[in-house]
Amino acid sequence: MRLLIILALVLNGGYASAHQWTPTYPKLKPSHIVGVYTTKMELFNARREISYYSVGVFDKDWKKVPFASTPSLLKVGYLDKRIVEVYLHKNHKNKAHYICSKSKILSSVRDPSIIASRICSKIK
Amino acid sequence: MKNKLIILATIMAAPVLATATTPISGSVASKCVVVTDTDGVYGNPSATKLSTSASDGGVLPIIRYDIITASAYNARITTPISFTSSPSLEGDVVNWTGSTVANQMSDASMSAFNTDKIVYNNTSEFPLSVAGSVWFDVSSEATYGYNKAFPAGSYSAVVTAECIAQ
Repeated sequence: MRLLIILALVLNGGYASAHQWTPTYPKLKPSHIVGVYTTKMELFNARREISYYSVGVFDKDWKKVPFASTPSLLKVGYLDKRIVEVYLHKNHKNKAHYICSKSKILSSVRDPSIIASRICSKIK
Repeated sequence: MKNKLIILATIMAAPVLATATTPISGSVASKCVVVTDTDGVYGNPSATKLSTSASDGGVLPIIRYDIITASAYNARITTPISFTSSPSLEGDVVNWTGSTVANQMSDASMSAFNTDKIVYNNTSEFPLSVAGSVWFDVSSEATYGYNKAFPAGSYSAVVTAECIAQ
């Protein structure tokens, strides 16, 4: 019985279902295009049931800020890491407050209760 | 005698000569990790009610937050106010209730998360002021119209767990 409990703990210990979005406080730097600023974000997907994440940029009132990214909808495999470059025009540089990644759930998923995760970093 | 002494000195010195220093460097960056610990299930204790409560035959969704640096993030958990998929519910409105509580924690001082919680609309916001891991239990309940039976079929709803940098 004790062996079974240990085995269950060991097997469960390997299971992870997490979403990570770093750094917490990204800094915008001038890009190779004049008047455009950029920063690099890293997304780590340890959610087995999630394959797609969206990226969004928001102001302090959570209104969308125009941006360009490579791409804005990401396909990220389980236990995979992706570097995301976010580009902002100089007119939106001071307006942008948060850079967020959000898990996207496919309409084909029919779980009774699904958890969507969103992590937002704050531009410094 | 002299040769034996040299051999002995060489053998004794060997482990000293073999050691080399290999530095390991690392840094701990502030980050918030959202972990879906348990997916929820709606129980159907009566024809008019769907609930994640264990007493109603449901399973509470549990979300773990791993906090690397204290006071860097707020946790924001939003309970559902609509179904993402369900049979046609055009006949009447669905009434939703939900709540979120920090239930298990790696540090006793994390109980402050519940006292510092801010609730607005269907969202609970917790300032993550202590580093460690915390498990949030999310409850959700839906009733249909006034004592009206839910049509037969499968129902899905989404709980949103957010980490917002402070």
